[in-house]
Amino acid sequence: MSAPPERRWGARYFAELYRAQIRQGVAVMLQYRFAMVIWGVWGFVGPLVSLAIWNAASSARGGTIVNAANGASFQRGDFAAYFLTFMVFGHMTMSWDAFEYGWRVRTGGLSPLLLRPVDPIHADAARNVSFKLITSAILLPVWILLAWLLQPTPPESGWSLLLATPALLLAAVMRYVWQYCLAMVAFWTTRVEAIQQLYFTVDAFLGGRVAPLALLPGWLGVLAAWSPFRGMGAFPVELALGRIPAEQIAPAFLAQVGWLVVALLAYRALWRLGLRRYSAVGA
Amino acid sequence: MRILHLLAVFYRTSIQTDIEYRADFFTRLVASLLGLMTTIGSLAIAFQYAGRIRGWSLGQAMVLLAVYYLMDGLIEMFIAPNMREIMNQIREGTLDFVILKPINTQFLATFRTLNIWRMANVLVGIGLCVYAIGGLSLTVGPREGALFAITLGSGCAVVYSFWLVLVTLTFWFIRMDNLEQIIWQAFETGRYPVDIYPRWLQITLTYVVPVMFIITIPAGALSGRVGPDTAAVSVVVAVVSVALSSCFWRFGLKHYTGASA
Repeated sequence: MSAPPERRWGARYFAELYRAQIRQGVAVMLQYRFAMVIWGVWGFVGPLVSLAIWNAASSARGGTIVNAANGASFQRGDFAAYFLTFMVFGHMTMSWDAFEYGWRVRTGGLSPLLLRPVDPIHADAARNVSFKLITSAILLPVWILLAWLLQPTPPESGWSLLLATPALLLAAVMRYVWQYCLAMVAFWTTRVEAIQQLYFTVDAFLGGRVAPLALLPGWLGVLAAWSPFRGMGAFPVELALGRIPAEQIAPAFLAQVGWLVVALLAYRALWRLGLRRYSAVGA
Repeated sequence: MRILHLLAVFYRTSIQTDIEYRADFFTRLVASLLGLMTTIGSLAIAFQYAGRIRGWSLGQAMVLLAVYYLMDGLIEMFIAPNMREIMNQIREGTLDFVILKPINTQFLATFRTLNIWRMANVLVGIGLCVYAIGGLSLTVGPREGALFAITLGSGCAVVYSFWLVLVTLTFWFIRMDNLEQIIWQAFETGRYPVDIYPRWLQITLTYVVPVMFIITIPAGALSGRVGPDTAAVSVVVAVVSVALSSCFWRFGLKHYTGASA
C-alpha cells in the first residue's frame, strides 16, 4: 500500500505510515508482555525513592519544606503529587533509542533500515508510541493504586490538567528528538555509555527528577529554568499541578517549542554527517 | 589448596582476556563517577533543608553510599558474570561441559570468570569511603575494620546465595534475565538509608531482598554503629543462605536435561 511518489511528503502519507508502523509495533510488543511490564515498572523506582527522601526530609522539618529564597513551599501531599505525576509523565515521555543505536551502528543493523524510503526515525517513533499505548494500559491500575496509597494533594482545578496536555505532548516529542540526537553520537564513537550517563545526570537535576526545580539551590535553579531539560521534565508536571503563575506559562511553552526546533535542526545535521561516516559491517 | 590454585588460574585467564579491552574501564569509571554525583547531589539538596534525616547526617549517608558502590563493584566483578553465564549455559545446554569436569560443579560454574574492569565501582567506593570517613572524623580502628570485613564478606555471601537461587530457577523457567532487572531495581534502593522508606518496604528490604545485610550493616560496622552481636547475626544469615542455596542448586541440577537429552 505505498503512496504514489508525488505524495511522499504529504500529511496523509505520514499518517498512513505511522498508522501501519504503530499497528505492527503493537503486534510485536504483545508477544513480550512480561518484558513490557518490567520495562514499565522500571520507571517506578526513581520517583518513589525521591519521594521517600523528601518525605523523610519534610518530617524532619515539621511537615513542610520552604525554600526561603523563592518562597516555594511543599508539604507531604505536594511531594506525593509532584513525584507521582512525574512518574506518569516520565513514562509518557520516555525514550530508549540512545541505548539501541550504538548496537545498530556496531553490528550493521542499521543497513537494512537505510533501504527504506523514509528516515528510520519515523519507524522508531512509531515503536515508541506503540510501547506507550500498551504499557500505559497495563500500568494505569498501578498508578491509581499508588495515588490511593500516597494521597497526593489534587490540583486546584481541572483546567490545569487540560493545559498540561499540550505541554506533555511537546515534552514527549522534545525528549524523543533530543535523545535521538544523542543516539547519533554512536556514529563517532562506539563508547556511548559515558556520554549517555552524563546526559542522565544533568537531566536528573535540571529536569526535576531528583527534586522539584523550585527547591534547587539558587544557581542550579537559574540554570534549570533556561535549560531544555525543564521542558522535557518538570514543566508539564508543574503546569498540571497548577504551580506555575499565569504570566510564566506562555514563555515556558515558547521555550519548549524553541528547544524542539533546535533539536530538530541538530538532528538533521547530525544524521547527514553521521551517515557519511557510517560504514556498514561487511560493506 | 587445589581449589585456590584453580581459582588463581581462572582469574588469571579472565584478566588476560579483559586486558584486551581497556577502553571499557574508563567508560565505566566516568559512568560510575557521574552516577555517584547524581546520588550525592540529590542527597545534598535534600539535606540543605534538613540537617538530619531520620537520624542520618549527610556524611553518614555518604559512608553508606560508599559501601553501596563497593558492593555493586564486587558483585559485577565476581558474581554477576558467572551467574549470567550459567543462565546462558542452562538455556543452550552447554552446561553439559561444566558438569563433565572432575570438580565440584557449583564451584566451577560460579567462580569461573571475573570482569576486572568492573573494578571501577570498587575503586569509586573505596575513594568515597576514605573521603566520607575523613569528613566525619571517625576513627576506624582494627575493631571496626574487622567487623566491616566480616559483615562485608557475609553480605557478599548473601548476594551469592540469592543469585544462585535465581539461577537455579532457570532449570525450570528457562528465561530469568528479566527477573535480574527487578533484583537490580531493588538493590538500587540500597543507595539510601533504609530508614527513609515506609515500614513495609523496610521489612521487605530486610527479609525478602536482604539489602539490610548486604549494605546497611557493613556500612554501620564501618561507622562504629554495629557491634559484634549484629556481625554474628549476619555471619549466621550468610552461612545459612549459602547452605540452603547450595542444596537448592543440587536439587535443580537433577532437573537439568541437557541440550538434546
